Amino acid sequence: MSDIGPTGVTTADSATGPGRPGSSRDGFEDESASGEAGTALSAPRRIPRILSPEQRRQRRRLEVAGVVIVAAIGFLVFKGLTSAIVFFKTANEAVAQRATLGNSTFQLEGMVLPGTVHLIRESSGTTVGFVVESSGVKVAVTNTGSPPQLFQPGIPVIVVGHFVGASDRFASDQILVKHSNSYIAAHPNRVRALNGTKR
Amino acid sequence: MRASTRTVPSERVAVALRVLGVASLVGVVATVWLGLFVTPPDEFMGNLVRLLYVHPPMAWVAFLAYGVASLASLLYLWPRTRSERFDRLAGASGEVGVVFTGLTLVSGSIWGRPTWGVWWVWDPLLTTTALLFVLYLGYLALRRVPGEFHVRARRSAIGALIAFIDVPIVYLSVEWWRSLHQAPTVLNPTTHKTYVHGSMAWTLLLGFVSFTLVYTWLVAHRYRLAELQDAQDTEGLEIALAERRAEAVGR
Repeated sequence: MSDIGPTGVTTADSATGPGRPGSSRDGFEDESASGEAGTALSAPRRIPRILSPEQRRQRRRLEVAGVVIVAAIGFLVFKGLTSAIVFFKTANEAVAQRATLGNSTFQLEGMVLPGTVHLIRESSGTTVGFVVESSGVKVAVTNTGSPPQLFQPGIPVIVVGHFVGASDRFASDQILVKHSNSYIAAHPNRVRALNGTKR
Repeated sequence: MRASTRTVPSERVAVALRVLGVASLVGVVATVWLGLFVTPPDEFMGNLVRLLYVHPPMAWVAFLAYGVASLASLLYLWPRTRSERFDRLAGASGEVGVVFTGLTLVSGSIWGRPTWGVWWVWDPLLTTTALLFVLYLGYLALRRVPGEFHVRARRSAIGALIAFIDVPIVYLSVEWWRSLHQAPTVLNPTTHKTYVHGSMAWTLLLGFVSFTLVYTWLVAHRYRLAELQDAQDTEGLEIALAERRAEAVGR
């Protein structure tokens, strides 16, 4: 690889470079593309820098600085996100912050209280009313539009909307159904296990 | 010259790859069969629960792929273990990881629409996963920025390690921030008790195993392709050098 001799170019510098297998590959491809076959291999485009100990130290310092900067940015992003990302407020938090929240739009989370769900049919479309509860604090919600398929009493939901006027009633236009990470068979008595037994 | 001696894999490697391929196929087919026909519907989700057998395994494979890519990148950067092989492995694994992150996002979206009621929500877990997808797409782009082999490989390795910072963030996001997405059922970062019913748990486990096999098979083949590409490049250079020398003699 070091003897590209015939072209008479001094390749001494590049040849003594520490371990650079396949280095002339790119140079060759690029230059042959230009169509000048005669000069194709005349000069490797990239001559490796041989770093002096001083440059080496400088470089090491630069690398350490880079790592520190990346770590600092990561830390800031984490701290920022931790305080800023509040995907939802629970019902008790929302009621406690009622004054500052005003009529702004936010996500409210709570458990749908059984026995409170009722459909209201209006000329403008379907509205469903229910009460969500969190840590004993209840908020009455009126949602415009059809609730999602899995909406039912006794499950945690997140509703997107705002408080109405000066009241503690909440008007939402979207219901997100939360789901736990447990999976339990429906009708376990009718399920046949792989070994044929029922359970 | 490098790589030229390693272009033909040994008989044993070829057989092992074929066995791995068959095993992955059998595993995936069995997962589909168990997931669609044998396991019961969930008491809350009904038939939607069947996405459980593919969505978490896809996310797991994405994590695994990025873990392997980062490890290979570290081994490349470490002077004592520096080898072109680790660069190729990192590239192959990163590519498979991006595919599986994409699949995770798509299958999650399909699952989210009927359960949550929305295709997408800017929830911490979903947002950081989308970021993960973009970060590793960037990594794949970085790998293709031209340059001398080792310069390019080192640059890519550093890129892979920076992108990996997001992996633990994705994993712990459900713990750190409030999320619509449930905490993971398997490999849960907390000690919360989770419950998966009998055959559902076994099918989920099989899903994890067979998707991991698919990952291994894909990476092995992608690695081999990269090896062949490098060998071809080297060979092309040698032919060109020989031609050029012949020219000089002729003159």
